[in-house]
Amino acid sequence: MRARIVAAMMLALTGAQAIRFERSSPPVKSDLAAPPAVDSALRQACYDCHSNETRWPWYTAVAPASWLAHYDVVEGRRRLNFSDWRAYAYDPGTRLQKLDEIRRLVLSGEMPPWYYRALRSDTHWTEAQREDVLRWTAAEIAAQPRMP
Amino acid sequence: MNAIVVLAALLGLVLALPIVARADDSAASVVRFQGNRFEPAELVVKAGAPLQLRVVNANPDAIEFESFELNRERVVQPGQEIVVYLPPLDPGTYKFFDDFHRDAGEGTITAR
Repeated sequence: MRARIVAAMMLALTGAQAIRFERSSPPVKSDLAAPPAVDSALRQACYDCHSNETRWPWYTAVAPASWLAHYDVVEGRRRLNFSDWRAYAYDPGTRLQKLDEIRRLVLSGEMPPWYYRALRSDTHWTEAQREDVLRWTAAEIAAQPRMP
Repeated sequence: MNAIVVLAALLGLVLALPIVARADDSAASVVRFQGNRFEPAELVVKAGAPLQLRVVNANPDAIEFESFELNRERVVQPGQEIVVYLPPLDPGTYKFFDDFHRDAGEGTITAR
């Protein structure tokens, strides 16, 4: 019985590999210009899902991890893409909201997601890096002119 | 008294200049969120020209005007309105929706 379950799981896992997604890294259009410490922190913990400069580790080619990685990158780039920052800057209200959301999600610890942090120990921020990002977002928000 | 009126009129003119200038180089359109849908749901605008999109929220709760294709995301409080600035658009159709009410009807901007 146990052998059958293992065989079925192996079969399902093998079959799952047939569903593949492209691991894309489109060209960078207009990267965010942030102070070096902030830029480095964002690249370390955010750019995999929120930029066109995604690093694709080997397990992102293996289902079902590949499915989750694909979903996170597609959804992450739609929600916030540091590689297309000028597009937000054209509309000051959108830029402000993006900055505000970065700040809120960093403060609450919701981002990066727990499973990403568990898989990628090299993405963990030090307290100083977290403070750098929070100070930067606060300064950018304060400097942003308010528009209707 | 007349001098004060003239001065006030001149001051008003000077203050209005930047607004007039911006309005001159951008077309303006309005979309209203009411009854859980955008009206009009389909906007047609001129391709290749910047656009100011006024979004009015006539609903009793906040909405989030969002478009992945246009890279726009703005919260609009109930009874308030915002202006979304868009660069010259390539010809095509761009979807937008209310991210706080995903069951609400989507809208589109078609640039021709």
